[in-house]
Amino acid sequence: MGLLAWVMMGLAIWHYTIFLPDRFWGGIVGAFVGSLIGAIVVGLIIYSVKVSALKIPGEKATDVSVVLYAIPGALIGMGVVYLEGMRRERARAALAEDA
Amino acid sequence: MTDRRRNTLILLIVAGLIAASLAAIATKKTRLGLDLKGGVELIYQAKPTAQSKVDAESLNRAIDIMRKRVDQLGVAQPEIQRSGADEIDVALPDVTNAARAEDEVGKTAQLFFYDWEPNVIGPTGKPAGTGESTVTGGPRAGEAQFGLPQYQAVVRAAKRAPELRKTDTTWSKGCTPAQAGGCIYGSWYLLEPKHEKVLLGPEETEANLFTEGKFKKGPNVKVVRVNPGTVLVQARPVESTAGKVTQKSPNSYFVMKDDPVLTGADVKNPRQSFDEGGGGSGAPNVTFEFTGHGKSVFQQVTKEIAHRGQEAQLPGTGGKEAVQQHFAVVLDGQLITTPSIDFTKYPEGIDASTGSQISGGFTISSAQELAQELQSGALPIKLELISNSQVSATLGKTALNQGLVALLVGFGVVCLFLLLFYRVLGAIAIGGLLIYGIYFYALIKLIPITLTLPGIAGLILTIGVAADANIVIFERVKEEIRGGRSVISGIATGYKRGFAAIVDANVVTFMTAFILFALATAEVKGFAFTLGIGTLVSLFTAVLATQAALGAMGRSKLVTHPAALGASRRGKGWTFDFMGASKWFFSLSGTILLIGAIAIGGNGLNFGIDFKSGTRIQTAFVKPVSESQIESVMKSAGYGNAEIQKFNNKSIGGDGFQISTKTLKPDKVKGIKAALDAKFGSGGTGSGSVAGTKNFSSTSIGPTFGKTVANSAIIAIIASLLVISAYIALRFEWKYAIPVLIALMHDLLITAGVYSLTGREVTTSTVAALLTILGYSLYDTIIVFDRVRENVPRMPRAAFSQIVNRSMSEVLTRSLATSFCTLLPVLALLLFGGETLKDFAFALIVGVASGAYSSIFIASPVLTHWKEREGSYRSRRARIVRELGAVPAYATVAGGAPEDVEPAKQRKRNVSIFGSGAAAPGQTGDEISRDEFQELVRDLDVEGTPGTGPGRSAATGVAQKPRRTKQPEQTPPEVPNGGQAPRDPAADLTPEDLVLKDDKTTPKRKRARNKRHGRR
Repeated sequence: MGLLAWVMMGLAIWHYTIFLPDRFWGGIVGAFVGSLIGAIVVGLIIYSVKVSALKIPGEKATDVSVVLYAIPGALIGMGVVYLEGMRRERARAALAEDA
Repeated sequence: MTDRRRNTLILLIVAGLIAASLAAIATKKTRLGLDLKGGVELIYQAKPTAQSKVDAESLNRAIDIMRKRVDQLGVAQPEIQRSGADEIDVALPDVTNAARAEDEVGKTAQLFFYDWEPNVIGPTGKPAGTGESTVTGGPRAGEAQFGLPQYQAVVRAAKRAPELRKTDTTWSKGCTPAQAGGCIYGSWYLLEPKHEKVLLGPEETEANLFTEGKFKKGPNVKVVRVNPGTVLVQARPVESTAGKVTQKSPNSYFVMKDDPVLTGADVKNPRQSFDEGGGGSGAPNVTFEFTGHGKSVFQQVTKEIAHRGQEAQLPGTGGKEAVQQHFAVVLDGQLITTPSIDFTKYPEGIDASTGSQISGGFTISSAQELAQELQSGALPIKLELISNSQVSATLGKTALNQGLVALLVGFGVVCLFLLLFYRVLGAIAIGGLLIYGIYFYALIKLIPITLTLPGIAGLILTIGVAADANIVIFERVKEEIRGGRSVISGIATGYKRGFAAIVDANVVTFMTAFILFALATAEVKGFAFTLGIGTLVSLFTAVLATQAALGAMGRSKLVTHPAALGASRRGKGWTFDFMGASKWFFSLSGTILLIGAIAIGGNGLNFGIDFKSGTRIQTAFVKPVSESQIESVMKSAGYGNAEIQKFNNKSIGGDGFQISTKTLKPDKVKGIKAALDAKFGSGGTGSGSVAGTKNFSSTSIGPTFGKTVANSAIIAIIASLLVISAYIALRFEWKYAIPVLIALMHDLLITAGVYSLTGREVTTSTVAALLTILGYSLYDTIIVFDRVRENVPRMPRAAFSQIVNRSMSEVLTRSLATSFCTLLPVLALLLFGGETLKDFAFALIVGVASGAYSSIFIASPVLTHWKEREGSYRSRRARIVRELGAVPAYATVAGGAPEDVEPAKQRKRNVSIFGSGAAAPGQTGDEISRDEFQELVRDLDVEGTPGTGPGRSAATGVAQKPRRTKQPEQTPPEVPNGGQAPRDPAADLTPEDLVLKDDKTTPKRKRARNKRHGRR
């Protein structure tokens, strides 16, 4: 259940990337992947630290706070993809200038 | 073959099939499922035994044996089938006693014959032998007072080393006696040492002990493995001196070396009889004969037993009873009898040529039961009942009526919509739907498909799918006619161009139905099967049959006027900037998902007993009853924790109660019914008494069943997504598959969010509906993507967002129409269907609505964003921005007309109308005969005078090819600066350019085609 909630949260946050300039590595799809992976991984890390065991929260363990664990992960994931996109863009521009 | 001949042939085939279908409908019976006619359904999960693994062969053997047993029960039209990898679904129509059905169908009935004394294990862990009568029971062998409590027996058994037989399934490469996991090795028990209690067992694996979640590993519990070669056998039932069984299942066990000399397979012709021989008690028993092998082994073993007895007798002592040795008969782990072998009477063993008998503690019915079990044979595998449900016949009939009403209403509203929206075309589509209905009903009877409530849901949904196919084509036909084609030409082109999109959409629906059928539980299989078959049949009736009908009516006044087809008005069209507004729709979706995710955290999902396990009883009462009265009955029956809810449901005849409790076996449910009947009925047990309950139905789901359902749903979702992606990637390009996946994910998650917010129960029907959404919500996406694919080569200088905007504006009406048309029958399901159908309908409504939305506002913008990163589209966009300052929503040519440049390939094909031929006017690229060409010329004459008709350019009076003169239906958006703006660089050709270009090229093409024609 926790996994479902994290994926949902990751997908929800991803929708707002439409307001950002498309500099993500892999474009909007790259942002999607970053958001989902980030939401799941960070959600899992936070929850595992909380319960001191690496596991996905089940039906009973999933509450609103567990759902919110996905938010930093989704943002970090998308941020990483965005920064990588910018880095590649700059590298491409530099290459073009050199040429 | 000419069109006319082709149409005639198709219509003849259609008519022939209608006649055959009507004959089948009149002569064949409809098979109704349990939910529609009442009965008992048992779902078993197969577990391996030492003798057999769970595989296709053992499951099929088990099914054969179960079928024999069901036949002995005298059940008409039973259905026993495999479900998933290790389940067997037994549907017994008209059976009302679930407890008896369970007893007689799923019992393993494994019969073993042991030489008793050498196999009973003593405290040393070795066979006790003849001397230890305290272990074996001596002359009272196998009696409960000599056995050990189960806990101690397990502890003793666990000390023994493994001994494998070559017949054991564990005796295979890769499995070693020391190995615990992965292989089937002996049996596992969960002990509570503090109270010397066996909590659970025997189970085949350690993991099985914790599957139900009832117990957790910890310091208070201990897992123990009894190695193969050792078995615990329960002592004989305790009998009174009068021979009556007082304790059927005593807590007394013997630890035995698992080395049977004979099995049930060595027995033949078992029957219930009476002990009437010399000195016989007259008690019921079971007589049988041995097979050839059985005979010789039996004689040999009884001889050995007799010799042992003889050797044990001390010289000079008279009493032989004290030393006589025994033969033990064990059925499903419990001793039935332990007869002694009289060595004075049978020193050379017992000649089994006249057969043998099993006696002791039988009633007539229990002896009959055993005889029947032996007759049908032992099940090769162990079967665990994981779900059982009982539906009353009245309840089934009501559900059937509700389903049929929903079906008729659904059909009616779809017909009404088609008629109002498409007029003559709609009437033809209705004809197609009627034919579809006849074919489908005939197929249900012919195959035969067992019609269940979910099956009816599938059928209703396919009405929508069939109508959708017509809508897609009709919208295309209207578009072609509005674009300047003649009616006949428009029909031919509309069918041709709409067909690809319909095939794509139907193939995806069919593939999802197939995956659902292959992986889902039995209840959902009915839905998947009808959906799959219906999709195929609808493809035939909605496309081929209606096309032939329209083609045949081609000359009729009914279809030659555009107004009759609802195509007289030039559609105002959509001028909305879909891509520009997508950010707001993205935000909307994001917010909905955000709310959904928080709702899942706050409320969770309300999983039904299908997932959580338990027993649910639904019943009405013959007289007014209160919740507290039921509660007190349940409390006295030992179910104080039962939840009791009052509800109103037409199916059970108005007010009723739902009782939810932990998972109960059928006999316990029977006990509850009896208690409720006795409490609220007219009293007494005689023939005049009236039962207190009416329309009693129950469903019991074990914990493993829910897990199986959830796992199969996850596998089905993943498999569907993979197959859908592969198909989209193949038919379009791989970049089109990703937005489709994102849109599907969006639909599924939004549906989950809505379920969480509304608190609606999630059942297996919901899962089936969700999986259907996977297939169906693609319908609209494929329609949009198909048009994008078509427009890409037509707009060689436009930005991708402009192409998508243009595509959306062209297909939005049909997307809305198809979704609306599917929602109509689903709405009928929700309003008129029974509880199960309502479950389906709710999930489908949310999914279909979300699917239509996501195809327009999620999938297309994602595709746009992604494609615009490609070099060519990036440079197009940059060029447009450079020249205009911004990218307009729609690509336009000078004067504001939408850009519509034909790709080279299309242009070439168009010319063929005037060359060697086309299948029909306007149906480009195919051959036509001379007659058809003349027909085409006549058609063009009907359209109007040269230079003014829709087939001609009003501006130039020059004859244009229909494809080229096509005007898009939407009003072009305003060009920046009120039309005085510089020419849009996306539009490199004006209509005039096109005409001039055509004029130049046409003669050349004509010549080329004539040459080719001449060569043939």
